[in-house]
Amino acid sequence: MGPDSAPDPAVPWRKVLWERQPFPDNYVDQRFLEELRRNEGIRQYRYWSVVKEAGFVGQQLSCVAIFITLWLYMEQGRLSPETLLWTSLVCALLGYGLYQALTSQVEPGCGPRTRLADLQSATIFLSFTFGFSPVLKTLTESVSTDTVYAMSAMMLLAHLVSFPYAQPSPPGSLSLNAALFASVCLASRLPGALHTFAMLSCALLVFALWPCLLQRLRENAPCQFAGVCLGVCIVGVGGLGFQSPGGAVLLALALMSVTLLCPLLLVRLQRHKDNIQGPWDEAEIHEDLSRFLH
Amino acid sequence: MGHRRRAAAVNNPSSQRVSGAPAEAVRVPSRKHNICMVSDFFYPNMGGVESHIYQLSQCLIEKGHKVVIATHAYGRRKGIRYLTNGLKVYYLPLQVMYNQSTATTCFHSLPLLRCVFVRERITVVHAHSSFSAMAHDALFHAKTIGLNTIFTDHSLFGFADVSSVLTNKLLTVSLCDTNHIVCVSYTSKENTVLRAALNPEIVSVIPNAVDPTDFTPDPSQRQDNRITIVVISRLVYRKGIDLLGGIIPELCLKHPDLHFLIGGEGPKRIVLEEVREKYQLHDRVRLLGALEHKDVCGVLVQGHIFLNTSLTEAFCMAIVEGASCGLQVVSTRVGGIPEVLPEDLITLCEPTVRSLCAGLETIIARHRSGSVPSPASIHACVQNLYTWRNVAERTEKVYDRVAGEEVLPLHRRLQRLRSHCGPVAGSIFAFVAVLNYLFLLLLQWLVPDRFMDKAVDATGPLGLWKQEQSSKHRALSKSATKKAAEPKISR
Repeated sequence: MGPDSAPDPAVPWRKVLWERQPFPDNYVDQRFLEELRRNEGIRQYRYWSVVKEAGFVGQQLSCVAIFITLWLYMEQGRLSPETLLWTSLVCALLGYGLYQALTSQVEPGCGPRTRLADLQSATIFLSFTFGFSPVLKTLTESVSTDTVYAMSAMMLLAHLVSFPYAQPSPPGSLSLNAALFASVCLASRLPGALHTFAMLSCALLVFALWPCLLQRLRENAPCQFAGVCLGVCIVGVGGLGFQSPGGAVLLALALMSVTLLCPLLLVRLQRHKDNIQGPWDEAEIHEDLSRFLH
Repeated sequence: MGHRRRAAAVNNPSSQRVSGAPAEAVRVPSRKHNICMVSDFFYPNMGGVESHIYQLSQCLIEKGHKVVIATHAYGRRKGIRYLTNGLKVYYLPLQVMYNQSTATTCFHSLPLLRCVFVRERITVVHAHSSFSAMAHDALFHAKTIGLNTIFTDHSLFGFADVSSVLTNKLLTVSLCDTNHIVCVSYTSKENTVLRAALNPEIVSVIPNAVDPTDFTPDPSQRQDNRITIVVISRLVYRKGIDLLGGIIPELCLKHPDLHFLIGGEGPKRIVLEEVREKYQLHDRVRLLGALEHKDVCGVLVQGHIFLNTSLTEAFCMAIVEGASCGLQVVSTRVGGIPEVLPEDLITLCEPTVRSLCAGLETIIARHRSGSVPSPASIHACVQNLYTWRNVAERTEKVYDRVAGEEVLPLHRRLQRLRSHCGPVAGSIFAFVAVLNYLFLLLLQWLVPDRFMDKAVDATGPLGLWKQEQSSKHRALSKSATKKAAEPKISR
């Protein structure tokens, strides 16, 4: 039977196999593909909200740039370790106060950690770093400087790639470890043990504590968050500009493309999205079935 | 040169293929074809595709067609074997790569397959299963040689992940110049049409079948003091075994007389074993391991309810087998399953533990009140729904239709590839098609067709097997399909 053998319009076609129907096997009904669904549950993005979210990526990129700038200043001896330490301390205290203020706005006084516990961990970390800084200073002595730089670059890149931008508090273990590895590598090329200590404390501030504060800011004060991101970006570009103008231009271009161009592409290309679903899709198990086992 | 017209030489003169008048050829009803079924999946491997190819071939032989099967060598099983009724199987020495599927290079299988096609004077190449690389290779070569091609798709695919995007592209390339496609359910047809961007008019829906004489109810095997739920499937994620692991404790706690009988093997067996261990159900949940096809019926008749928890399924023969044995069928509403059985024979549920439990509870309650139809009456309803003879009849129509169609000559095939499969993939595969054609010319120059020995027909119009065994065949012809279910393998 070919498709041309005219079906009897009196008997409607049914999508069943158990019944012998008076239609040829290759009959195509009007209801063919009627259960096809397109782009179900698709998210419509708005440009400026995507730009705002991309701001986090941009500022993290700038943070890395700022860290490298500080290291360059230290290496050239234009920034003394004492200045860096004092500045870091002031910044840490300011940030801590801000963090507490933002926390108490949501859940007054029921934080799981006390100030004493925070002080304890800070003391332990600082004393250990201070004690080990001579060891860290000589750690990579037998490795050539080129290797150290290449390794740091790789690790900072790994930090940027693996950073959990959607949920940066606490920072992901892979990204944090990569960043600290890079800072140890860089710090070990500085002239003195105190330099190393100052650099590592600064690294902790930039890579571990700053994302936590920024995430708080994003949750509780979205308007200021955008401003802060912009500020960090400007500081990053400006700081690098004094050291290497070419690098600053490159960083600015990278920041522009990440925060402005990529969101534009996402929003534009969203129109071409054609996701088809239908009864042939494999069913998904949404329930938590592990409760039957454990 | 690559496009032979050798079909008519050995066949009924009335079936002479005249390329100018395809419509005329379609109307000749008694035309006999020389069919080559190609798939990576055939006995001794067990599964739905394997038995489909075997049963379809047997019924086509019964109708007087000549059928040979080409598959890859399974272990020491190489060369040519004859199965029941002279069904000839070529186990070709091709390298198996993954999951019983051969590696594909688009070229290396051409010499062997050409040899089979020429010796057997094949007119129609029928490839099975989109998972089989050999099937796609055979389609590609058959089109180069100039034979009509048919493809049967047995499975469903999604569109979401990278692997399916890739396989769907390959399917588009493979099917864009195939004459006709057969799907096993309407859902499968929709899926294939979308995946391969086909014209739905060249896709036929021909369901699978089961042999009703193989699956007959036997209520004496049931134990009346308990309710037994039977599950027979491979224990893999796609069959929803995780759901089953949730259903077992939920229902066993509620109904102390409920027993589970689970046949099949697979990586998810561990889930069921853990559940059995944790809830101390060793005497009520029996895991039978892998079952041979002949043992399936013996397990089915022990049960009252057949449960299928698949997450995706193109047709699902298991539920028809269960119903044919007189069981109440409970299944997930996925893929082509809603098309398979009428509403009064199946309880459809959503693929969640809660919905499946509710469906099973209804059936259990009906059982206790004695309001379920008898196994014999269910069997009577199901036994004529899906028969292999019907499948063969409908497939024959596809062959008749295809035999009247023209195989695209090389230049039009290249055009079709480039216009249908996108500029990049289309051009690549057009290039491959040209190379394949040149390779064929080389082979034809090395060993011309006329010097190749023609095989002696075992089946078909000139089949010798039938003549030798005609007396035996007459005696057994009543139970031809019954016999077909048990492949006898002889050298």
